[in-house]
Amino acid sequence: MPQYMLLLHGDPTGWVKLSPEDMQKAIEKYMAWTKKPFTRDSKRLADEPGRVIRSQGGKPKATDGPYSETKEILAGYYTIEAASYDEAVKLALEHPQLEYGGTVEVRQVYGS
Amino acid sequence: MTAAGETGSLLEHLFRHQAGRMVAHLTRLLGPAHIDLAEETVQEAMLRALQIWPYEGAPENAGAWLFRVAHNAAIDAVRRNRLLSDKTDAIVHELSRSASAPEDNPDLEEQLRDDELRMIFMCCHPDISQESSVALSLKTVGGFSVREIARAFLAEDAAIAQRLVRAKSQIRERRLTLDMPPGAELKERLASVLDVIYFMFNEGYTAHAGQDLIRRDLCFEALRLGCLVAASSIASPVVHALVALMAFQESRLAARVNESGDLILFEDQDHGLWNRHLISLGFHHFDRSMAGDEVSEYHVQAAIAATYARAPDAHSVDWQMILALYDQFLAINPSPVVALNRAVVVGKVHGPKQALAAIAPLENNSKLRNYYLLPAVRGHLLLELERHSEAAASFSAALERPCSEPERRFLRRRLEACGRATILGQD
Repeated sequence: MPQYMLLLHGDPTGWVKLSPEDMQKAIEKYMAWTKKPFTRDSKRLADEPGRVIRSQGGKPKATDGPYSETKEILAGYYTIEAASYDEAVKLALEHPQLEYGGTVEVRQVYGS
Repeated sequence: MTAAGETGSLLEHLFRHQAGRMVAHLTRLLGPAHIDLAEETVQEAMLRALQIWPYEGAPENAGAWLFRVAHNAAIDAVRRNRLLSDKTDAIVHELSRSASAPEDNPDLEEQLRDDELRMIFMCCHPDISQESSVALSLKTVGGFSVREIARAFLAEDAAIAQRLVRAKSQIRERRLTLDMPPGAELKERLASVLDVIYFMFNEGYTAHAGQDLIRRDLCFEALRLGCLVAASSIASPVVHALVALMAFQESRLAARVNESGDLILFEDQDHGLWNRHLISLGFHHFDRSMAGDEVSEYHVQAAIAATYARAPDAHSVDWQMILALYDQFLAINPSPVVALNRAVVVGKVHGPKQALAAIAPLENNSKLRNYYLLPAVRGHLLLELERHSEAAASFSAALERPCSEPERRFLRRRLEACGRATILGQD
C-alpha cells in the first residue's frame, strides 16, 4: 500500500496556554495516533539547532532556519499507509495537530 | 507505574496530580518565595513531554520522567537565577539528590505527600483570604490552571490570576514558610485548612450551568486533599468527619443531575447511580470521626449525609433521625440557611403545614433576601397543600432571585406544574 508522510507544522509556544490536564489530553490524542493500524512510523525532529544551508554567490551559508521569522516549525512527522492520496487526506483530517492549531502537510512517499 | 498501554492513554489526571506534587516538592527545595520558579520548571517538564511523547510514546514510568525533567529544569534555572546566589550550591545539591532518588521509593512517596500537606497548610495561612487560599491550593497542590479555576468559580481569568499574584506576594512579604505551625496554632490552621477544603468542595458541588466537568474535578480534588490530611499524623476526628461528609455527598453526584444537566430531587434519584465505593469510604471515615467528644458542624452534617446513605431507597429515609440531627445542627450553627433546610425535613416528618410554620419566621430575614431556595421551598410546600396559585407566585418569586441555569429550569418546571393544576381546576 502507498505510504504518505504527514508533516506536522505548528507553533510550539501555543502549548504554553494549556493546563496540565489539557496537556495530558493532547499527548494522549497524539499517542493514540502512533498506535493506529495504518501508522507505520512517527518521529520527532529536534527544534535546535535548525539550520538551513543556502548557497549565496557560490558560497554555502548557514542561517538560523526558516523558522526564526514565522514561529511555525516542522515539529515531526507520521508515516501512514493509505489506499490513495484522498484516503490519506481523509485520515489526516482526524489528526489532533489540526485541533491544536497546527497544520498537516500530506505528501506521498514517491514510488511507494 | 504508568502503562501507556495499547490505547496510548496515561494514568488518569497524571499530569494534574504530578504537577501539584512536583510544585509542592520543588517549592520546599527552592523556598516558598520561589513558587513561581517551581511552577515554571514543572511546566517546562510537561512541555518537554508534549514535544516528545506524541511521536515517541510515553516512557515506562511517565511520572518519574516528569519528576526528573522538572528537577533538571530547576537545577538549570537555579544556576541561572541570581536571586538564589548564596544558596545556589546547597539548593542544586538538594535538587540533584532528589532527582536521583530511585523510582517508586516509598520514602520519596511519603516525602511528596508531606510536601503537599505542608503546601496546603501554607496556602491556608490566616493572612491569606479564603478565596485566595482556595485558588492557590488548586493552582499549586491541585495542578489546576488559572483558566480551569476561573471556569470552576465562574470568574474571569484575570480575577483569578490577580488573586494568585496577591497570595504569592503575601507569602513573600510575610516570609511564610512550609513549616507546620506549632501547638495551638496548628489546631487553628487545621480548622482553616478544613474550611478551605469544604469551600472548594461546595463550589464544585453547587449546580451550575452546563455540565462542566471541571466542577466535578473540584469536588474530587477537595476529597483528595481531605484524605491527604486524614492520612497524616495531624488528623483529628473532625478531619474524618469532613472527609465522610464529602464522600457521602460526592457519592450522589452522578445521581443528582441528569444527562441534560437538570437537577433531580433526592426522592427521584436513581440509587443505582450512587457510588458505592464513595459511600463505604464515607462510612470508614465516619466511624473514625466518632473518636473523642468533639461534635463539630462537619460531624452533624456527616451524620445527616450518612442517614441518607443508609436508606435502602428514597422512601425509607429515617426522617425522624435527620430532624433530630438538624436540631443539633441548628444549635451549633443558628443560621437561617440551616433553619430553612431543617424546615424541609419538618415537612417530611410532620407535613407541609408544620413546615410552612417553620419557615414563616425566616421570611423577613435579611440574609435570605436574595436566597432563591426560600421561596422555592415555600412553593414546594404550597404545591403539596394544593394551593396552586400561591405556589406559582412563590416559584415566580424564586425565579427573580439569582440562581444557576439548572436551578432555573427546575423552578420553571415546578411553575408549569402549578399552571397545569390550575387549568385542571384543582386550585
